[in-house]
Amino acid sequence: MSQPVDKIGNWLALPVVAALTALCLAPLLILFVYSFFQVDFVTILHEPTFANYAKVAGSETYRGLIARAFGSALLVVGITAIIGYPVAWFIAKRVVAAKSTFLTLLLVPLYSGDLVRIFAWRVLLGAEGAVNRSLMWLGVTDTPFGGLLFSPLATHIALTYNYLPFMVIGLWLAFESLDDAWTEAAADLGAPAVDRFRRVTLPLTLPGLIAGGLMVFVMVAGDYLTPQLLGGASGITIISAVNDLFGTAFDWPLGSAIAWTMLAILMLCFGVGALAIRRSSFISEGT
Amino acid sequence: MTALHNSTQTKESDRQGRPLLEAKGLFKSYGKVEAVSGVDFSLAENSYVTLLGPSGCGKTSILRMIGGFEDVTSGALVLDNVRMDHIPAAKRPINTVFQNYALFPHLSVAENVAFGLSYQNVPKSEISKRALDALKTVRMDALADRRPRQLSGGQQQRVALARAIVNAPRLLLLDEPLSALDRRMRKDMQIELKELQRRLGMTFLHVTHDQEEAFALSDWIIVMHDGRIEQQGRPEEIYACPSTAYVADFIGGATCVFGEVVEREGDKVVIDTPIGRHLVPGVSTLSTGAPAALCLRPEQLTLAKAGIAAHVKSCVFRGSDWIIECEAADQVMQVVVGVNPPAQGALVHVHFDPDRAWVAAASRGDL
Ligand SMILES: Nc1ncnc2c1ncn2[C@@H]1O[C@H](COP(=O)(O)OP(=O)(O)OP(=O)(O)O)[C@@H](O)[C@H]1O
Ligand SMILES: [Mg+2]
Repeated sequence: MSQPVDKIGNWLALPVVAALTALCLAPLLILFVYSFFQVDFVTILHEPTFANYAKVAGSETYRGLIARAFGSALLVVGITAIIGYPVAWFIAKRVVAAKSTFLTLLLVPLYSGDLVRIFAWRVLLGAEGAVNRSLMWLGVTDTPFGGLLFSPLATHIALTYNYLPFMVIGLWLAFESLDDAWTEAAADLGAPAVDRFRRVTLPLTLPGLIAGGLMVFVMVAGDYLTPQLLGGASGITIISAVNDLFGTAFDWPLGSAIAWTMLAILMLCFGVGALAIRRSSFISEGT
Repeated sequence: MTALHNSTQTKESDRQGRPLLEAKGLFKSYGKVEAVSGVDFSLAENSYVTLLGPSGCGKTSILRMIGGFEDVTSGALVLDNVRMDHIPAAKRPINTVFQNYALFPHLSVAENVAFGLSYQNVPKSEISKRALDALKTVRMDALADRRPRQLSGGQQQRVALARAIVNAPRLLLLDEPLSALDRRMRKDMQIELKELQRRLGMTFLHVTHDQEEAFALSDWIIVMHDGRIEQQGRPEEIYACPSTAYVADFIGGATCVFGEVVEREGDKVVIDTPIGRHLVPGVSTLSTGAPAALCLRPEQLTLAKAGIAAHVKSCVFRGSDWIIECEAADQVMQVVVGVNPPAQGALVHVHFDPDRAWVAAASRGDL
C-alpha cells in the first residue's frame, strides 16, 4: 500500500537532494581537487602534487594556527560544559512553569547577530567600558585595564558566550530524559554528591555532552570574526589565513589544502563523537 | 504499639520497647497540598510492615521522607534512638527498592549490585564476591553480566532487591515493588519477599494499595487514609476488628450500614440502623450515642427464609460463586451465594449471625 506513496516521496525529494549535492558537496570536491594543484605567479598549474599538504605540515606558522584553532575550540567546549551543566540541570529539573521562557531567554543572544554581540563585548571590555568603570568605581584599580579588550581573554569570553546556548541545549535534552530516580538510587546506596555526578549523571548525560560539545567545537574552530575583532594581535586565525590565501595572496591550492586539513580533522572528531554517542545510547537501550 | 509478633518473640524479648524506627507527628506538605498530616508509628526490628492505603493517601511521601529524598515538614524520624530527619539520604543505613527499580542502565547487573558496596567498609577484593552472593540470594547470578534493559520486569525486580540488601541496611523500603508484575509473578514474589525478610532478619517497610498483598506479607499493617493513619495492628486484628467503617470497607469489602450506638452491653453494643436494631460485638471505645457502622462482609451474609427483606439488584458470577447485590431500606448489601442465584428484582431475606458481625466507628473522629 505504502509502496507507491514512498516512490512519489522519492521523486519529490530528488530535486532537493540534487541541489544539496550540487551546492554542498561539489564545492568541497572542487576544493579537494584544487588542493593538489600548484600556483605559478598568477596561473594555476594543473599538475597533481602533494606539495601543498607538505607545506602545511612543514610550516610552523600554519601548524601553530591549526593547533591554536582546535586548542581554542577544546577550551571553549570545556568552559561551556562547566557552565552548561548547572544551567541545563536547573532548566530541566527545577524550572516547571517558565521552562519555555528560560529556553527562549537562552536563545535570544543568537537572534541578535554576530557583529552586534561582538561590538557589545567591545563596549563592555574596552578601556572606557562598563567593566573597567565598575572596577574603578569600586576602587579596585585607579587606571583602566588596557589588556582586557583585544586579547585572547576577550576572544574566549565572547566565544564562550556565543556558543554556550548550543552546549546548554544539548545537555538540557539529556537532562530531560534523565530520571531523578537514578540519582536518588545513587544517594540511597551511599554515594556522595561528587560520586553521584561522576558515576551516574555524567555517564547518563554523555550523549548530550558529546552532541553539544561537537557543535561548539566546530563552530569555535570555524569562527574567525570574533578573534579578528576582539583578539587584537592574537586575532589571526587559520580561517583568516585561508581567506587571505584565496584573496590577496592568490594561492588557491594552498588555501584548499589548509581547508581540507581542517575538514579532515573535524570529520575525524565527528566520527569519534558519533561513535561515542552510539556506544553510550547502545548501552542505555541495551539492545 | 510495636509490631512484635509471635514468630520472632525469642529474638525480640531483649529488644522490647526499643523500636527500630519511630515516626513522631510526621507532616509533609508540598506547597498547599498536605500529603501527610500527623502520622505516628514505630517499626520493630525484624518485622515485615506494610503501609496500606488507596492512591494519593501519602504512602510514597512517608517512604520518601524515611529514605531521605524528601524533607520532613514537621515531626521527627528516630532510627535506633537517634534523630535522623536531618541526615542526608546517602548517610542513612536504609536502602530502597524503587517502584520502577531505577537500575543504572549503563552498568551491568553485577556492577549495579556492587555500586553501594564501594561506600561500605568492604575491601575492594571482596566487593564482587559479595555482589555475586547477593545475586545468588535472589537467584540472579546467572545473568550478572547483562544490562538491566535486557531483563524482564521480574528479573529487574530481583536485581533491585539484591542491590538494596547487599548493603545490609537496618531498614529496607519497598514502594509498590510488585505493581509492575503480572498476577502470577506477584504471588510468587510475595512468597519470596516474605521468606527473604525472615532469612535476613531485616525490617521491611512495604508500600502497597493491595490489601491481599498486605495480608500475605505483613506482621504489622498500617492502614492510611487521606494522609492519616486510620488503624494499625496485626493483620488478623485489623481484619477481625476494624476500628472504622473505612477500614472495614477497604480491608474486608464490608457493607457498612450507618447508625447510632444505643447502649453498651459488655464488649457488645446495641446499634440502631435503618435495617433494624442489633446486638453485635464492636469497638470498645464507642460510647452511647456515637455514630457507628454495622459492618457486614459478603461472606457473613446469607439468603434465608427470614431476615432483612431486600430486593435483588444484580448478580455477578465470580467462577466459584455468585455475588448478589441487594437493597434494603436504601442500603446496598453484598451477599455471597454458592449456587442458584435469585432472579434480578426478586424479594429475598438477608440473614447474618450478629456474633460474627462487627460495629466500627463511623469515622476516626468518633472513636
Ligand atoms: N512532589 C509533589 N508535589 C506536589 N504534590 C505532591 C508531590 N508528591 C505527592 N504529592 C501529592 O501528595 C499526595 C500524596 O502523594 P503520595 O505520592 O504520597 O501518595 P501515594 O499514597 O503514594 O499514592 P499512590 O498509591 O498513587 O502512589 C497526593 O495528593 C499527591 O498529589
Ligand atoms: Mg506512591
